[in-house]
Amino acid sequence: MTTLLSVEGVSKAFPGVKALDNVYLELRKGEVHVLLGENGAGKSTLMKILSGVYQADSGAIVYKGKPVQFKTATEALRAGIGIIYQELNLVPHLTVAQNIFIGKEPVKMGFTIDAARMNRDAVEILKRLNADIKPTALVKNIAVSKQQMVEVAKALSYNSDVLIMDEPTSALTEAEIEELFKVIKSLRAQGVGIIYISHRLEEIREIADRVTIFRDGQYVSTDDYGDLTLDEIVKRMVGREMAHKFPPKKHIPTDEVILEVRDVQRRGETEKASFTLHAGEILGVAGLMGAGRTELARAIFGADPKAGGEIFVNGARVTVDSPLDAIQAGIGYLSEDRKAYGLALNMRITDNITMAYLDEVSTRSGRILKHLEKGVSRRFVKSLDIKTPSISQVVKNLSGGNQQKVVIAKWLFRNARVLIFDEPTRGVDVGAKYAIYELMDGLAASGAGIIMISSELPEILGMSDRIMVMSQGRVAAIMNIEGATQEKILHHAAGLL
Amino acid sequence: MANEPLPAGTAMDDESARLLNADLLQKFAALAGLVALLVVFSLIARNFFTVDNLINICRQTTTIALAGIGVTFVIITGGIDLSIGSVLAMSGVVAGMLVKDWEWNVYVAFFAGALSGVFVGFLNGAMVNFLRLPPFIATLGMMMIARGLALLVTNARSIPGLPESFGDIGNGALGTTYRLNARGVEVIGFPGIPHAVILMAVLAVVFYYILSSTKLGRYIYAVGSNEEATRLSGINVVKVKFFAYMICGGFAALSGIVTMSRLVTVQPTAGVAFEMDAIASTVIGGTSLMGGVGGISGTIIGAFIIGVLRNGLNMFGVQGFVQQIIIGAVIILAVSVDQFRNRKK
Repeated sequence: MTTLLSVEGVSKAFPGVKALDNVYLELRKGEVHVLLGENGAGKSTLMKILSGVYQADSGAIVYKGKPVQFKTATEALRAGIGIIYQELNLVPHLTVAQNIFIGKEPVKMGFTIDAARMNRDAVEILKRLNADIKPTALVKNIAVSKQQMVEVAKALSYNSDVLIMDEPTSALTEAEIEELFKVIKSLRAQGVGIIYISHRLEEIREIADRVTIFRDGQYVSTDDYGDLTLDEIVKRMVGREMAHKFPPKKHIPTDEVILEVRDVQRRGETEKASFTLHAGEILGVAGLMGAGRTELARAIFGADPKAGGEIFVNGARVTVDSPLDAIQAGIGYLSEDRKAYGLALNMRITDNITMAYLDEVSTRSGRILKHLEKGVSRRFVKSLDIKTPSISQVVKNLSGGNQQKVVIAKWLFRNARVLIFDEPTRGVDVGAKYAIYELMDGLAASGAGIIMISSELPEILGMSDRIMVMSQGRVAAIMNIEGATQEKILHHAAGLL
Repeated sequence: MANEPLPAGTAMDDESARLLNADLLQKFAALAGLVALLVVFSLIARNFFTVDNLINICRQTTTIALAGIGVTFVIITGGIDLSIGSVLAMSGVVAGMLVKDWEWNVYVAFFAGALSGVFVGFLNGAMVNFLRLPPFIATLGMMMIARGLALLVTNARSIPGLPESFGDIGNGALGTTYRLNARGVEVIGFPGIPHAVILMAVLAVVFYYILSSTKLGRYIYAVGSNEEATRLSGINVVKVKFFAYMICGGFAALSGIVTMSRLVTVQPTAGVAFEMDAIASTVIGGTSLMGGVGGISGTIIGAFIIGVLRNGLNMFGVQGFVQQIIIGAVIILAVSVDQFRNRKK
């Protein structure tokens, strides 16, 4: 197989950080080359260099036998290197075809857009992807998975020989991922070289030809996927042996019911749901996307209005009409989207940790006692091992795992005894995942009750004491961890049982 | 924070030093601009750097600074208030009519005028909170309503013939000294600090403190940084936004009272487009229209930059229209510098 693109000893430094240190990558025609590494390993930096967003400090990039250095993203695109970022870059109010051809619309008579031809060409490209999408549909009206296809189509419209995909599945459901993989395989058959970046080690099995691993900005290895075990990959990514993906359970569920939910419902989203949570217990909540897990959690927390039902905390009935009611009852909620719902990104670590409980660090007249506040945040930065140069660091600049820890610290400081973790490890790298599991285990061991919503079945099976499966807005099953299997959960989740 | 013990496992290294520097730079870039203006004008215009003129500048800057303090609160929550100029006129009309037609005590009338501004702020807050209107639209409507009311009740005529005490805030000064001149006639020595400037300075300090050191202030930043995350942290976001708009309305009204008091006449047509001066001072001072970032000290500096520019250009004999062009360019320059600095980070 011929080499399409090779990265030879590229380095890139930012003020204070060496983001890439002499790294290598070789992409062949018609292969899916998976690039793995924890957050901060330098994957995104390399992608940005390849696509012309950044320029390398040293080293060479050889593309189709010639050394290249792209100065802008457009230059890279024109040369045939397409990139699909983690976040979709589409204009929601334009049509599918308009999005695909944005910036290179076919024109007639020199200046008017040839809409008919654009739509025809769009159909052509979409057909290549086996995607059933109307070119005239508005992007905002189609499903996220289809939007992802439009992104791929956009990249292909430049006749790309190289396609870079940065965590393309993070917003997709299982079925949608299947669709995407079909497309990737067909592109591979057509000779396109694909660089595929992912955190999800399980999913790459299906598509990976070769795997390159980076760690802390340095090149570690390149192998055929078949020659590697999952354990070996993880070991190389984190640089240490991770014999177990989950920490040994230290917590033991008690008989004490810390939370009881009776017939709580969100109109139009979920049916009536009832369940209990014990002190010292982790209750895993599994289900497919759209099963109503987050909706139920938000209703319990008072973030969205309920259509009836009762909530008991430590046996006492509490009225929860707002997040404040829930917080005062000792309930904390960690959203699945911490950037949108969990953190004030422009504010400091300290501000975020004390946000839900400023009363504790201020006088009755409302003056914040800054020395107390700093003490609190220092305590949590230390006990949760939040990696930061200073407690005054703006949260935006932290890695995903450390951001998640800041949200956890917020609820711990608020003395929450019932914690709802909604997708606690989404967008968090392997090493930090383990730390968050340990934290959850420790919290349960100290008597807290945890509801853990997760779409990753290994996580559900690895951490839970009991498992609640939701399907189409209703509680389909509640089972003990003993005897629970992925198959059983999936059956309930799909509504087959 | 330099002398406090550091948490174990973290290094107080270049990073925090760099952050600290960036923060200082942000603050002092505007201040350095102000100092540079002062130096330049002092060098070209001989009468510029005199006690009389500096006090004059302070007086001229007071109204912008007052309105700027108020709108800083709203802008940090991510909102905007376009009704400031109209509230300025309306509050003056309220105070003037209460004094003239109802023979109220001047200070009680001033207080009532300020309250009318707070009330308009309350209405703005209600529209933003409950009707879920974008702040731009809500306050645009209010801009027209308040101006229309002020013109309606006065028939668009000014209210002259107010008692002398009506001019106390705008014209009075503290610590005026007199001396005998060569011919033995008593003349003013030190002109004194104008009452309005003292009022502005005291309020600036108080509201600086509120914004930087109280729960309310922290919540204002939090709402502007991420409203939904703030709500989910159990904070009454509705209340916070009400406070911001009411503070803004109150300051706009105060600014109106100072303006009318200075003229000892109520002008229902005063302050058209004045909100733009207030917003400009805020933005020049580094407050982001996106919300979550900014502060009172920057706004005061921004207000003085505008004040000094106007005064200096006047003294230099620059035509009013040209002044507008220059101030417009300064706003663009100041925010560009900010953007450039942020991008480099």
